[in-house]
Amino acid sequence: MSHATPGHVSLDPKFAPTFPQAALIMLRNPQLRKNVAHAIDVIQAKRGKLVVEKTDWQELRSAASEIRFHVLDNLGAYLEQFEARCTAAGGHVHWAADAAEARQIILDLLREENATEVIKIKTMTSAEIQLNPFLQAAGVSVYETDLAEIILQLGDEDPSHIVVPALHINRSQVREIFARTMGLKNLSDDPKELTNAARTYLRQKFLTVPTAISGANFLVAETGTVAVVESEGNGRMCLTLPRTMISLVGIEKVLPRFQDLEVMLQLLARSATGERMNPYTSLWSGVTPGDGPQRFHVVLLDNGRSSILAKTKERQTLKCIRCAACMNTCPVYRQTGGHAYGSVYPGPIGAILTPQLMQMKHAQTLPYASSLCGACYEVCPVKINIPEVLLELRSQVVNQERKQAGRFFDPMYLGLRVANLIFATAWGFHAAQRMGRIGSRFFTRKDGWIHALPSIGGKWTQTRDLRGLPKQTFHQWWAERAKGGK
Amino acid sequence: MMRMLFCCRFAGFEATMRASLFITCYNDTLYPETGRAVVRLLERLGVSLDFHPKQTCCGQMHANTGFRGEAFSQAKRFVRLYQDAENVVIPSSSCVAMFRDQYPGLFEELGNEDLRKDFASLLPRVYELSEFLIDRLGVEDVGATFTHRVVYHASCHGVRALHLGERPYKLMAKVRGLDLATLPNVDRCCGFGGTFSVKNAEVSSAMLTVKLQDVLSTRAEYCTALDNSCLMHLGGAMHREYAGMKTIHLAQILASTEADSQTEVAL
Amino acid sequence: MNQPVQSRQLTLDRIRAATPSAAKDSSQLAAAYAALPRAYIRHGSLTAQARVELMIQRLREYDAEVVECTPAELPDAITAQLAASGRHRFVAPSGAPPEWMVTSAWKITGLEWTLDHGLDIDEIEKAEGVVTAATCGIADSGTIVLHHSATEGRRVLTLLPDYYLCILRAGQIVETLPEYFNRCQQPPALATYISGPSATADIEMTRIKGVHGPRILVVIVVRDN
Repeated sequence: MSHATPGHVSLDPKFAPTFPQAALIMLRNPQLRKNVAHAIDVIQAKRGKLVVEKTDWQELRSAASEIRFHVLDNLGAYLEQFEARCTAAGGHVHWAADAAEARQIILDLLREENATEVIKIKTMTSAEIQLNPFLQAAGVSVYETDLAEIILQLGDEDPSHIVVPALHINRSQVREIFARTMGLKNLSDDPKELTNAARTYLRQKFLTVPTAISGANFLVAETGTVAVVESEGNGRMCLTLPRTMISLVGIEKVLPRFQDLEVMLQLLARSATGERMNPYTSLWSGVTPGDGPQRFHVVLLDNGRSSILAKTKERQTLKCIRCAACMNTCPVYRQTGGHAYGSVYPGPIGAILTPQLMQMKHAQTLPYASSLCGACYEVCPVKINIPEVLLELRSQVVNQERKQAGRFFDPMYLGLRVANLIFATAWGFHAAQRMGRIGSRFFTRKDGWIHALPSIGGKWTQTRDLRGLPKQTFHQWWAERAKGGK
Repeated sequence: MMRMLFCCRFAGFEATMRASLFITCYNDTLYPETGRAVVRLLERLGVSLDFHPKQTCCGQMHANTGFRGEAFSQAKRFVRLYQDAENVVIPSSSCVAMFRDQYPGLFEELGNEDLRKDFASLLPRVYELSEFLIDRLGVEDVGATFTHRVVYHASCHGVRALHLGERPYKLMAKVRGLDLATLPNVDRCCGFGGTFSVKNAEVSSAMLTVKLQDVLSTRAEYCTALDNSCLMHLGGAMHREYAGMKTIHLAQILASTEADSQTEVAL
Repeated sequence: MNQPVQSRQLTLDRIRAATPSAAKDSSQLAAAYAALPRAYIRHGSLTAQARVELMIQRLREYDAEVVECTPAELPDAITAQLAASGRHRFVAPSGAPPEWMVTSAWKITGLEWTLDHGLDIDEIEKAEGVVTAATCGIADSGTIVLHHSATEGRRVLTLLPDYYLCILRAGQIVETLPEYFNRCQQPPALATYISGPSATADIEMTRIKGVHGPRILVVIVVRDN
C-alpha cells in the first residue's frame, strides 16, 4: 500500500480498474497533479528549446522512423545477427517467449551464481514481467539503484512515468520515506541531502553485490553491442563492478549498425530529459577480459511483441525508444499522471502498447484515454502515429464488445447504432432533429440552456451546460430562404 | 460589395465561383447561426453557394469511437453526395480532418476501386472555411468589422491535422476593430475530443478547467475558433460558471460588418 | 535443454510469419539498409577554432572546469590542476604517458599516483582522483568519449574516484555526433560517453549533480593544432 498516493491503483493490467475509474481517483489528488504538472513543464521547456536549436530535428525523426521500420521489417535477421556477434564476444543469449519464461530464465541464472542479492538498473521491461516480486519470493533480495526506483521501492510505490518514475512524489514525501527506511532522523528535504543519502546507501551495495540486472536502450546487431543510457551513474556501477551481468531486453530494441546510434542518441536525450546528451551512455559487446562482468547474459523478451509485429497498422508501436516525450506533452496525462493507466507503461504509448501486450484481453479502456489531439505524434522522435493506432484499437475493442449480449442495451452502443440509422437518410436525420427539439424542451430552462440531462447526457451536464436546440435548423432556414426567393 | 468583387477579380477568380456548403450534423442542429454566417460571408465575397438537402454527417463520431462499419457507410454517402461539387466548404476542421485522414483507410479496408477513385477526385475540392478563403478565394480581408476583444482557440484538428497555420490569424488581422488577445498554451487541447467528453467526462472536465483558466486570463469578451465542437465544450463551462465570456464561431466574426449593431452570437 | 531452443525457434518463427516482406538474403538486406534516408546533418560547419571553443563552452555549461594549454605545457598543467584539487592520491591508466607525471614537482606538493596494473577495487575506491586521456570530444553536446584503451583505463577507473581530470587534445574534437561515428574505424568493444557529471532530476525535477560517479570533472584541452 503506497503512502504518497492515496487510493492505490494496481499497475497490473489484469487487475487495474478502468481508466475512467482510475483517473477519477488521481484527479482527486491535488498534490499528485501539482507534482506531475511541475515535472512535465520542466522537461517540456528544456526539450522545446533544444528542438528549436537542432535545425535537422525533422530529418533526424524521419531517419529514425525509417531505421526502426526497417529493423522491424527484418527483425529476425537482425536478432540472429546480434545473437551471433554477442556470443562470439563472450556473451550468452537467451530467448524468452513470455514473461513467465523470462522470470524463470533469470532466476535460473541467479541460482547458477548462488546469488541471494542482485543490484538493478532501472528497466521498465523488468516491471513489465513483474520480476522483482518473483525474485523476492524465491529468496533473492533485489536492490534497485536508480534514485527514483529506490524511492519507489522503499516507499512501496508504483512508477508513474517511464523516464522519471517518481515524478508524482515531492521532496517532503521523499524525505519521509528515506528517514523512515534508512533510519536517518535528521534528514532534511533538501534534494541535495536526499540524493547524498541515496549515494551513501548504495555505495556498499555497488562494491559488494556480484550480480546485476539491467535492461537496455538499444542492441546493435552488427557488433553485438548493448547500450545503456542514463544520468546518475548507477548504471555504470552495475555494469562494471559485478562479476555477472544479466540484461533483459525486448526483441524490438535492436538497431542494425553501430552508426545508427548517431541518430537515436541525438533524439533520445532531447526527447526524454531535455538535454543535448545524457550524462552517461555505456556501450559494451559481450565480455572484455579485465574490464567489467566476466559473465554476461542477454535475455531477449517477446511477451506479445511478435503479435504486434504481425499487424500492419499497429506495428509502429514497436518503434518506440521509451523516451516518454509523448506523455510529457499529453494533456490527458498531465491531469491524471501515470497510475491512472493501470500499467507500467502509461501515457499515450501505454495506451497503445499495454492493451496489445495483453492481446486485447485487458486494458480495453486505454485506447479511449485520449482526446485524439495528436500532440504525442507531433513530438514522437520515431514518428509513431499514436492517434492512428488508438483508432485502430478502438475499433477492435468495439468489434469485441458488440458481440457480447449485454452490450446491446449499453447506452453508448445503442445510441451510436441509432445515430447511424439517423445519419443514413435525410428524412431520418430531420425527423430525429424534430424529435430532439421536442424532447429537449423538457430539459431546457427559461434561459434557453440545458443544465441537466439523463444517462450519457448526464456526463456532459455534470460540468457543462448545453444551449437548447434552436427552433430552426440550418437546413430549414436554407429551404425557407430558397422558397422566399433570394 | 464592389470592393469585394474587385478583390476576387484581382485574385484572378471569376466573381461567380461555386461552392457547396457541408454544414455538418451538429452545426445544422445546434449552431445554425454559424451556417447563416458562412452563407452571408461567402455570398458577400461573390461565391454562389448551394446546399445539398440530403446531407447528414461525415461519420467522425462513429469512426473515433471505433464503429468503423458505420463510419464507412456515412463516409461513402458523403463522397457520393459531393461527387459533382466544384468546391465543398466545411466550417469545421475536425470534419475536414475526418475526410482527409480517415476516409482513405476506411475506403481501403471496406470500399471498392470506384469509391476510392471518386474519393481521390473529390479530395482536392474539399476545404475547411479558412482554407477556402485564403487558398481558394485568395482573400484575407473579407470586409469584416468586429469591435471586440477576442481570444482565438486553435483547435487540435486545425493545428495538427489540417496544418492551418497562419490562416485564421491572417483573416483576423484584417477584421476592423478586432483586438486579438494572446492565448497562453494555445496548442493545448481543450479536452472535448468527441465522445471522450462523455466517456472520460471527468478528465475532459479537468482539461477544460485548465484551458478555461488560460482563456479567461486573456480578459477577452469572446472566445472564437473554427470548430463549434470545442466552443460547445468551452462555452458550456463558461455558461455554467457565469464566467462572463461568450463563444462565437470565427465565421460569425468574419460575416459581421460595420452595419451590424449586434452580431449573432452563441452565448 | 529443450525449452530454450524451443523458445528461440518459436520466437523466430513468429517473427518470420509476421514479416513477409523481410529481405530474402543478406545482400538484399544491405541494399535496403543503404537506401534508408539520412538527410540529417552529417558534418559540422565550424572552424577548428570554433569547434574547440564550443566544446569548452558546453563543458562549462555542465559545470566542468576547463583549462587550455599547449602540448609543451601539459605536464605542468596537470600538476597545477591536481595540486589545486586539494587531493593527493590519484590513479591513472596503465598506459598513461610518463611525461604526465612531473616527479620533482609532485614530490614537493605531495601528489602521488598509482598506475592501474590490475588494482583491486578497494584500492581504486581509496583513490581521491583519476587522470586519463580520451578518444574524442563531441562539441555539440560537450561529450567526452572513452574507448577504454590503455591511456583511458578500464571503466571502473573513471567511475569510482570523486575527481576526474580528462586530457583532451584539440585534434580529437569533432563538432557533431555523426562525425564521431564516422571516425570510428572499428566500433569499440567498450565505450563510455560522458556529458557532464552524473545528475538526477528525480526529486521534483531539481537537478542534483554527482549521484554516482565523479562529482568533479576537470578537462585540460591541449591545443595540438
